Amino acid sequence: MKILDKSKLKDLLNSLSGEAQVFAPVNEDDVIKFQPWTDGKEVDLSSNALLPPKDLLFPQTETMYRYTTKGMKAEVAEVAAGSEKQVIFAIRPCDVRSFLMMDDVFLTKGYEDDYYKNKRDNTILISLGCKDPEPTCFCDSMGIDKSESEHADIVMFDLGEQLALDAKTDAGKALLDSLSELEDGSADKPDTAECIIKVEPQGLAEKLAKMFEHPYWEELSRKCIGCGACTYLCPTCHCFDIRRKNVGEEGFQFRCWDSCMFSEYTRMAGGHNPRPSKKERVRNRFLHKLQYFPERYDKVACVGCGRCLAKCPVNMDITRIIKELGEVAVNE
Amino acid sequence: MMDIVQKMRNKAKELLEQEEVKLVIGWEKGTFWYQSPPMFITNPDDADRLVWDQFCINNLSKYLLDYKHLDGKIALFVKGCDARGINRLLQDQQINRDKLVILGVPCPGMKDAEAAKKAKENQVDQLPLAERCADCTTPNPMVFDELMADEVVVAEIDETKRFESVLQLEEKASDEKYDFWKSQYDKCIRCFACRNVCPACNCRECCFDLAEPEWLGKRVVTSENQFFALTRAMHVAGRCIECGECERVCPMDIPIMSLNKKIIKDINNLFGDYDAGMDLEDKPPLGKYDENDPEEFM
Amino acid sequence: MSEPAKKQLEEHPLVPVTGIVTKIIDETPDVKTFHIKFENGRPFTPMPGQVAMLSLLSIGEAMFSVRIVDEDHLEFSLKKTGIVTDALHEIEEGQEVGVRGPYGNGFPVDLCKGKDMLFIGMGIGLAPVRTMIYHCINNREDYGKMQIVYGARSPQDLVFKEDLLENWHEVPNCSVDVTVDRGDDEWTGSVDFVPPFVEKLAPKPENTIAIICGPPIGIKFTLPVMEKLGFTNDQIITTLEMRMKCGIGKCGRCNIGSCYVCLDGPVFSLEQLKTMPNEY
Ligand SMILES: Cc1cc2nc3c(=O)[nH]c(=O)nc-3n(C[C@H](O)[C@H](O)[C@H](O)COP(=O)(O)OP(=O)(O)OC[C@H]3O[C@@H](n4cnc5c(N)ncnc54)[C@H](O)[C@@H]3O)c2cc1C
Ligand code: SF4
Ligand code: SF4
Ligand code: SF4
Ligand code: SF4
Ligand code: FES
Repeated sequence: MKILDKSKLKDLLNSLSGEAQVFAPVNEDDVIKFQPWTDGKEVDLSSNALLPPKDLLFPQTETMYRYTTKGMKAEVAEVAAGSEKQVIFAIRPCDVRSFLMMDDVFLTKGYEDDYYKNKRDNTILISLGCKDPEPTCFCDSMGIDKSESEHADIVMFDLGEQLALDAKTDAGKALLDSLSELEDGSADKPDTAECIIKVEPQGLAEKLAKMFEHPYWEELSRKCIGCGACTYLCPTCHCFDIRRKNVGEEGFQFRCWDSCMFSEYTRMAGGHNPRPSKKERVRNRFLHKLQYFPERYDKVACVGCGRCLAKCPVNMDITRIIKELGEVAVNE
Repeated sequence: MMDIVQKMRNKAKELLEQEEVKLVIGWEKGTFWYQSPPMFITNPDDADRLVWDQFCINNLSKYLLDYKHLDGKIALFVKGCDARGINRLLQDQQINRDKLVILGVPCPGMKDAEAAKKAKENQVDQLPLAERCADCTTPNPMVFDELMADEVVVAEIDETKRFESVLQLEEKASDEKYDFWKSQYDKCIRCFACRNVCPACNCRECCFDLAEPEWLGKRVVTSENQFFALTRAMHVAGRCIECGECERVCPMDIPIMSLNKKIIKDINNLFGDYDAGMDLEDKPPLGKYDENDPEEFM
Repeated sequence: MSEPAKKQLEEHPLVPVTGIVTKIIDETPDVKTFHIKFENGRPFTPMPGQVAMLSLLSIGEAMFSVRIVDEDHLEFSLKKTGIVTDALHEIEEGQEVGVRGPYGNGFPVDLCKGKDMLFIGMGIGLAPVRTMIYHCINNREDYGKMQIVYGARSPQDLVFKEDLLENWHEVPNCSVDVTVDRGDDEWTGSVDFVPPFVEKLAPKPENTIAIICGPPIGIKFTLPVMEKLGFTNDQIITTLEMRMKCGIGKCGRCNIGSCYVCLDGPVFSLEQLKTMPNEY
């Protein structure tokens, strides 16, 4: 285990920057977000970032390839190149877990998404254990150990004046050994408080499979305003659109986040829309998280980060929904 | 506020039981004590979940668009700003007044939920008002069928307070202004919460959703975000009722009201004072022609 | 087949390879068929029922049934319905286009082996059906009797006329029956909607697999007829359409419940459909 004096945090990040592009949580204009680290920024470890770090593996807007078109000619000019090495500093255990779900989506079931894979393979995760969960957090109900991340390269603990770092993978160890700011030492893992909100999502998928037509969805959806806040802030939501931008004879294809909560998301040519109203869209969002994803990838697609709960303008609360779904009666 | 709540519950129950309305829209308690999100009641037994407290901040008027084709009447509770939202929708010919039972609730001002997060439930009285309520001049509904309580006294708010943020921004040099708005709208994730919540944004098909012509590119980059920011603001120019919902719902904390208020201030300067949604007969300045309209930009 | 192109599509599944449109056939006023040639041989070998993304690079891409013409050519038939299809209807021979695929499961060719085949196509829905018809023709000895039923709105709306009115009549042990909703002065064939037309033809369900593709409404009214004729759900196969972007099960757009139509479909048996949420 290595110990770092918090006063040397900036030095550490500067050294790390020599190895790779470092992303760290920084508060800018009242929003904590993983920002490319440059000297002079202030790391904010006070609470988890509002924007999940999924952006670093799956950017909100990402160029896929360039092309040229001229008369009848059309040529794919350049396929977006591989990614630089990056370090995500102080990623929380819930967000680390969300990467496993992203991996399921982008790397399994017959196709590897090369844009994602390039970034994922070049990313080192330094996680920060959570001591004081926010009132909206419920990660421990989702089977996450908030004190320590089992899937990070390096786990880090906040000791107050100091940070303790412990390597979990070879890559993590090599990185730690290369950093002179760190001193050998040992420390006990700090105590972590329990999340206030508790839910039991276990076994819900089977019940939901019988609840597609339940009137619950209609009632639930009424207050939703169909914005994309919940899906864009969710570390496990991964839907995207593919579009293009032309400038004269040149252009590029890009993908960008999209949200199943938007009304035109599934609208087909000719106007037919299989999910025409809020009822179908809200139902899809929650069934996707709690039934479809578990059926497909054997995981509940929610890590309990509480972001949707904190930011939904109408207090659509997934924890309350899990509880209610557990309670409603279904006719077999 | 307790007897108001009882009165509201009784009223909702009565309207539903006597089948005068199909649906009642109000507020109920949410996950935390400082949240009172919208509630939709069709079963009279649920009326007892209705609440009225200083966290009923959501403007309910926009929901009427979801029920345009409902066969039957809707009752909804309105604060001053919700009532202005109703006038907005009526003036834009989006809803039918005959299908509404408007239950006015004079508003003491809503509390700042962000501040509440750091406080205790017994400290509600000490909490500051929500930003938009601090300079509200219309706490009493101006359109209603019945009032649930006596009107509240309207505080004197001077114009400098109302336009404080605008005045501060106007002080800046153009480069500074640009930097300010650039860094604010660079945060925008284009969730469209600001549009979706807005009673003035009531177009059947929004220009931002069109694929052809593609007015707004889907890339979340500075240029597209700024186009979005300005277009949204201009599309509600003269029609914004200052309910502040757009800024409240923005997950990225973008000071959207400063943009709206700048436009309101300019319109007031150009066309004379105008408060949208106050009077059904008084058409938005950019939506009508008047011989005395200024011509300098023509 | 071109190995480099195939490899490129494997390594970058979302990036198209380009080919040249060598032939455009006007099928109907709003359907055109495109033959696309690839310089070093076609980039992939689609199974019948599989689909591929066809694009005009500067306009966009959309998903269509794809059929092999020969070593160098793939074929798509497109109904004009929106941005991409409108633009593709405007192009001329010689235009370069992008193609990526093949996607989806395709028809269960092995399961169908040794069976009599009933094909019911409605409108542009004949495009996917036709890929399977060609498979059966090319492997004639593997399949039993072939019965092809096709319906279009009017005589002008008949697609693949050469196949329907000539080629397929030459195929041994194969019947072709065509109907239109509304006839005209020259039309001497049947005038009937597909469901009653099928009912009158009364195909036998024994040892038969039925492939039915067409607009949802057409399928909806044909299914009760099939049931009446004694077809069971596992004997009926159809294809579904959902809006698509990636085609490889990543973008999340085409889900029906936990199934992704681009990956797990577009071919489904009626038996499978019965277990899925009714949201398509
Ligand atoms: C598996 C499958 C096979 C198909 N096979 C054929 C075929 O052989 N021949 C044929 O003419 N049509 C076929 N279609 C339908 C065809 O994909 C749509 O007509 C086409 O996408 C319309 O695109 P557009 O840009 O012209 O329409 P617009 O309405 O302008 O659509 C804009 C975008 O929405 C998406 N979209 C809209 N409608 C559909 C849709 N029905 N399916 C998928 N994406 C859609 C596309 O990404 C499209 O680029 C198939 C669809 C699917 C899903
Ligand atoms: S659940 Fe909330 S955040 Fe999500 S779309 Fe609905 S209103 Fe927006
Ligand atoms: S659904 Fe909500 S709580 Fe769960 S991971 Fe997504 S944003 Fe976090
Ligand atoms: S609510 Fe905020 S983040 Fe969302 S689109 Fe509006 S300005 Fe952008
Ligand atoms: S622009 Fe904002 S303040 Fe104005 S009416 Fe719309 S939501 Fe309310
Ligand atoms: S089209 Fe992207 S998941 Fe099916």
